[in-house]
Amino acid sequence: MSYQRTQNFSSRRQQNWSRNQNTVAYVSAIKLGPVTHTVLVALMITVLGLIYLTQATRATSYDYATQKIDSQIAELNTQKSDLEIENARLTALETVKNSTVATTMTVPTTTNYAQ
Amino acid sequence: MKLELQKGSRSKVLAAIVIVTMAIFVIRLFYLQIIQHDYYVKEANKEQIKQRTIPAKRGMIYALDGQDAVPLVMNQMVYTVFADPQTTKDDTKIIDIIKRVAGGNARADLQGLLSRKDSRYQILATKITRVQADKIKSENLKGIGFHEESQRVYPEGSLAAQTLGFVDYEGVGRYGVEGRLNDRLTGTDGLLQSVTDVSDVPLTIGNNNINKPAVDGDNIVLSIDRNIQSHTEQALADGLKRTGATRGSVIVMNPQNGQIMAMANLPTFDPAKFNEVKDAAAFNNGVVSAPYEPGSDVKTLTMATGIEKGVVSADATYNNTDHIQVDDKVISNATLGHTGIITFQYALNWSLNTGFVTVAERLGDGNNITRTARDTMYDYFYNRFRLGQLTGVEVSGEAEGTIIPPTDVDGNAVRYSNMSFGQGLDVTMVQVSSAFSSLVNGGKYYKPTVVAGKLDTSGKFVADKIATPSNPISDSTASQMREMTHTARSTFYTSVDKAGYYTGGKTGTSQVIKNGEYSEDETVGTYLGYGGSIDLSRYVIMVQVSGDHKALQGARDALPIFTDISNWMLDYLKIQPKG
Repeated sequence: MSYQRTQNFSSRRQQNWSRNQNTVAYVSAIKLGPVTHTVLVALMITVLGLIYLTQATRATSYDYATQKIDSQIAELNTQKSDLEIENARLTALETVKNSTVATTMTVPTTTNYAQ
Repeated sequence: MKLELQKGSRSKVLAAIVIVTMAIFVIRLFYLQIIQHDYYVKEANKEQIKQRTIPAKRGMIYALDGQDAVPLVMNQMVYTVFADPQTTKDDTKIIDIIKRVAGGNARADLQGLLSRKDSRYQILATKITRVQADKIKSENLKGIGFHEESQRVYPEGSLAAQTLGFVDYEGVGRYGVEGRLNDRLTGTDGLLQSVTDVSDVPLTIGNNNINKPAVDGDNIVLSIDRNIQSHTEQALADGLKRTGATRGSVIVMNPQNGQIMAMANLPTFDPAKFNEVKDAAAFNNGVVSAPYEPGSDVKTLTMATGIEKGVVSADATYNNTDHIQVDDKVISNATLGHTGIITFQYALNWSLNTGFVTVAERLGDGNNITRTARDTMYDYFYNRFRLGQLTGVEVSGEAEGTIIPPTDVDGNAVRYSNMSFGQGLDVTMVQVSSAFSSLVNGGKYYKPTVVAGKLDTSGKFVADKIATPSNPISDSTASQMREMTHTARSTFYTSVDKAGYYTGGKTGTSQVIKNGEYSEDETVGTYLGYGGSIDLSRYVIMVQVSGDHKALQGARDALPIFTDISNWMLDYLKIQPKG
């Protein structure tokens, strides 16, 4: 002797979930064919490619800008070094000794010291 | 109606050809892109990725000017102008511009160089400045190129040349501080690896980019004071002219910390023109690299040893007979006639050899320079005063010198009797002046140094820590020696010193060994002394003058140079006179 279930059991929880929900799925009436799909995929790839190219170009343009700034920094550093050397030469002992001011200086005859 | 390709039709053949061709393409691409992937990536990287060394800047060398650091050695970019005679046009214009802009840096026969049309590379001018190079570049001369290189420049000319050394054409430091501290000055090159465009501009694209910045060399600040150095060199030059000596060296030290304030040597050289030096001996710093028998200066160290061991004092006496027998040798005084019972102070004043041989004898049994006496002298000379060993001063080519130990067969009583008055040992001036400093600074031995510190990245001077000194002798012994050397100087030379200051010193005249024997016609004159206030010694100066076949004396020839520098130092250091 066998028993069969006479009705499907659904829990109260499941019933609550199902309540007020649509029971019909709406499907778009527009159908896209294989050609359209292919075109769309190609377009997407193109757009992605363009985005990549834009970013790469922008990055490269930054590289050129950086390079230009680096060159300017190097140039300014070289100028700074040259000026430092010139300054060192102008303040070197021999230059100072032979300066007009130094040649007119005299040795003090007496020296007083503060106690 | 259904269309079908007929068997053997042209369409079928065409399709087959297309398929086969495509298959070949696919296989070939598979081979190139998959199997040969690594090889082609490598080849592509070779073309696209460039590695560039970022050269580290060699550190500059500074001296002190009072408390400020001033540059002695700097770096400057200079340019070499070259031509490709096969591509140059209008040689007359090129020659005119190069001569006008490069001046003395242009090669002599420019016409001849440019006419060598079989050559692709001819140097037209060297070491021109950036401004000169820019002027030539602005003329847009066809076939003209430039090489850029860094070279050392010396704003103070040949000042402290042997202390500085120079940098050779390979960029390696030679002699002096350049040689000794080459690693510190060189720094570490950096590396730039990246994809570049056709103009070699580095791009950020790619996965294997490396940007390791260069670490520049240290900017070292020497303890050399350029004013003291300059005056010392001038005083030495004047002294050599006055005495007829052909060689001379001077060291000026701060006895309170071991820092060397000046080291002068003559003959000297211009480090910017090191390639023009005929005799390489001019590169050597005689203060550190020329060991010699210092003569009577060492009597101060013998006396300090005797006082420290309690066997003599300034007022203790001995019987001077002008001669003293040591084993089979008779040692005589250079100055005869001061015979009888005299004090050791008197023996120091007159530099009587017998007095210091007597000190050596009293370190033994009183009558002989026994093994105990020799062991004691060796302990003080070698271990405590550090004669005959490297001091570690930061100048290339330091020589050790020689102190024969008593364990050696030559370390006998005769040897040690000679050592007691400064013969029979080879030492350098930096060793003797460092040891003497301990006699006038309270008994502390400071390692001599020529480096005061370095400039940090912001250009601020950061001083090195002074090494902890050792104590070869007690403060009491040092005080007695300071007083004895003051008396030794003031007995004869009071009038030459400025009044109100406290100076002292000892003369030295030593024979020179030529071909294994003491020369009859040549002696080296030395003076070793200190100066400052009565409370504090501010400087130690050691002067040495010599010349082939010249009998030079410490008192007559070296002492005036000391006096010149010493009197100037008293003013320069702003020491207030007393009394």
